[in-house]
Amino acid sequence: MTLLTIQNLRRSFGQLVAVDGVSFAVEPGELVGLIGPNGAGKTTVFNCISGTIPPAGGSVTFDGDDVTGAAPPALARRGLVRTFQQTRELSTMTVEDNMLLPWRDHPGERAVNALTRSSGVAESERAARERAQTLLEVFDLEDMVDEYASSLSGGQRKLLELARALMLDPKLLLLDEPFAGVNPTLTQRIAAHIKEFNDEGLTLLIIEHELETLTELVDRLVVLANGAVLATGTPNEILNNDRVIDAYLGR
Amino acid sequence: MEIPLAQELIFGLVIGSYIALGAIGFTLIYGLVNMINFAHGEFITIGAFVGFLAIAEGGLSLPVALLVVLVVTGVAGWAIARVTFEPMNDAGAVPLLLMSIGLGLVLRNGLRTVAGAERRHVPVPVETFRFDELGFFVTSQHLTIIGITLLAVLVLHLFLTRTMLGVAMRATADNEDLALVSGIDTRLIRNTVWVGASALAGIAGLMLAISQSANPNVGFGQLLLILTAAILGGAGSPYGAVAGAYLLGIGITVSVALLPSGLTALSSTMAFVVLIVVLLVRPGGLVNAEVRAS
Amino acid sequence: MSAIDDLPFDAVQAGVVLVIVALVYLFSPFYVSPAGFTFIFLEVGVLFLLYALILIGLNLQFGHTGLVNFGPVAFFAVGGYTAAMLTAVDPFKAVGLALPWPVGLVAAVLVAVALGALLGFSTLRLRDDFLAIVTLAVAEIIHGLIITFRDVTGGSVGLGNVPRPIAAPVGGGGGAELFATVLVLGALCVLAYGVFHRLSTAPYGRVLRAIRADEQVAATLGKRVFRYKLVVFVYGAAIAGLAGALLVFYNGAASAGFFTIDVTVIVWVGMLIGGAGNDRGVLAGLAIIMGFQLTTRFLNDVLPFITQDQFASVRLMLVGLLLMLIIKYRPEGLWGNARELGVES
Repeated sequence: MTLLTIQNLRRSFGQLVAVDGVSFAVEPGELVGLIGPNGAGKTTVFNCISGTIPPAGGSVTFDGDDVTGAAPPALARRGLVRTFQQTRELSTMTVEDNMLLPWRDHPGERAVNALTRSSGVAESERAARERAQTLLEVFDLEDMVDEYASSLSGGQRKLLELARALMLDPKLLLLDEPFAGVNPTLTQRIAAHIKEFNDEGLTLLIIEHELETLTELVDRLVVLANGAVLATGTPNEILNNDRVIDAYLGR
Repeated sequence: MEIPLAQELIFGLVIGSYIALGAIGFTLIYGLVNMINFAHGEFITIGAFVGFLAIAEGGLSLPVALLVVLVVTGVAGWAIARVTFEPMNDAGAVPLLLMSIGLGLVLRNGLRTVAGAERRHVPVPVETFRFDELGFFVTSQHLTIIGITLLAVLVLHLFLTRTMLGVAMRATADNEDLALVSGIDTRLIRNTVWVGASALAGIAGLMLAISQSANPNVGFGQLLLILTAAILGGAGSPYGAVAGAYLLGIGITVSVALLPSGLTALSSTMAFVVLIVVLLVRPGGLVNAEVRAS
Repeated sequence: MSAIDDLPFDAVQAGVVLVIVALVYLFSPFYVSPAGFTFIFLEVGVLFLLYALILIGLNLQFGHTGLVNFGPVAFFAVGGYTAAMLTAVDPFKAVGLALPWPVGLVAAVLVAVALGALLGFSTLRLRDDFLAIVTLAVAEIIHGLIITFRDVTGGSVGLGNVPRPIAAPVGGGGGAELFATVLVLGALCVLAYGVFHRLSTAPYGRVLRAIRADEQVAATLGKRVFRYKLVVFVYGAAIAGLAGALLVFYNGAASAGFFTIDVTVIVWVGMLIGGAGNDRGVLAGLAIIMGFQLTTRFLNDVLPFITQDQFASVRLMLVGLLLMLIIKYRPEGLWGNARELGVES
């Protein structure tokens, strides 16, 4: 059973048709790249999937359930998490708080438990801290634990964005241009991390312009152009696909 | 034979005019300077006192006083904004809002300290035109305020559509970043907005001083109605604000007429009801502005 | 201030103990009758404690969650008048149902909660600044309603003959009542502070601060943002309503003059002076601004050639000026965390 199925997704902004009947699927454990020239509709597709904006038509099925138009919190709880192209670190909170925030089903986030200071709260917090520490070490951010997120460098913010999303233990991670504006060394590091987590079972759908890095990383590419799926296949097939080349060069 | 509700309609247009003059400025500030100016009522009050001084103390005629108020309040408002709001232009909506509340307190109470709380009447000759067969009357004051407001709206419309600066303003209201990038002088626009909004508020103050009195609270009392009109019209749209102002004014006067006499006090709560209903049903107001949190 | 954090007990526990102590004191045959010159301080103290209750709620709303509530006095008033109208015994030209005071107290909180829920539902999905407009407008409207419906509320004259639950048990006349009131309210305040502090220091508070920082991110990370905002708004409304009821039970009357925008201003300025988001700091800030007001009151006695009215205006001017200066030069207040409030330069 596919993890994510997009059927005939449609979305317009006034006269502008951004997404015009997009359909594709992502199998569990896959690493899929979503590419296409500027204005092809990639970010809009992401936004429709992740509940940021409601689609005008079509359906989104995740893990067997119809989640078309579901709000982001509901999706996150089901295991569908996205990151943003421009890092959205919570700059008025520390790195640690950024990491602890997403922890699922934390009893301490309910008023009753917060007031009574039930033991479940401390336990959950401990578990969250441990997981956060592990992830921060993976991303080499453990020294910045008590720093406010605003003091992080651009590259560190990218890493935090990723690490924070992983705290939710997602089934499917939607990455919105994770390599945008990132230097080549860091790009390789991030790609390596992505590969590792994918090997451990995380399914990923990635929007990227950085074709070189992406094509080495993914199992499959979905190419969008003019709001519709132009082609889908392995990186090899796609890179040799004339229509894809035309679409990119035609801009 | 009497036209039903004719008198209420006239009163409604009059009240609506006061609100409209304040609401236009308030909305322009909201749309172009990106702040809620809780001190806007004080610009009205300044206009009221300048008008009082011009007419009662200075013996000027109404048209001349009008010009004086226009200029003085426009400049005063601009100067005050220059000192308080402009330096923190990019501080964010909440600090600007808080700043305007502080400013309002300072101005309101400053005026009360200097001028005292008593109401000062502005003697202006009034002519009444009676149409008893049709069941209403209208005074020269009524006609003046309605006329001035309509003139102001016309001037505003011409300005926004026919002048370079006006068109630039509309562009900025739409998308400030884009406007900046395309070389529009947003500082000039903000300065113009402050002058214009204050001047219009000043005129409202002058007319309120004449019809009621000049006192330190006259402007603050209008603020609630201005807020409601602006939201009813649609946040950021001056045309919407005008429409909202007249709708509100007429709504108030008509409801006074239609409600049983024991409940006429309810008309003052119309603003509350209107506000809440608008926000629940159509928060973008008449023009359906985009007001949801992103 | 960190020494207080190291104590083995927290404010909730202390508050419960203090409430018990206060109740025991109240019903015991002993009472303290303070000297006459302390009355003014005790009276201001009572007002401080009531405003502190409002501020505790407001701080959770704005300091932690970023909700700009400009009408805490609306809930204060609604709570006060609900309690007064339900419990007053044959007031002059107003409604008084002469029900027992606990009914009035509970009803006050419930009505405030209802108003908070109504406002919350209508505005919390909209832009932040809209909440400011609406809350300010509602506060003004409620004040207007109180004055207009004078046959129901007593208008500017007020609604008297409200029961004073502390007077009877303590005995011993005015001074003793005053002292007992300070004790009871003080205990309640400590308890309320403790309750809200537990919320803000728990992971619950982390969610609130995330909402203040970036709602969309909080939602993307799985938090039900609207629900939190609504609930926090209602908590603040509830405690302000409670404070209103306590005020009328202390005064034995409700009057429009107690529920003006000045209350909102004092509480907000206190919060900003102290540092929004710092649970103890904001209370200290409130103490500072109210101390300032007390001092200027004495000043007025010393300078008789300035009328009381003028002095009131000058005082408000200074408060407004103070607000402007804080926003411009020290938006994080004395004890607030500039980085957490996002106001570092």
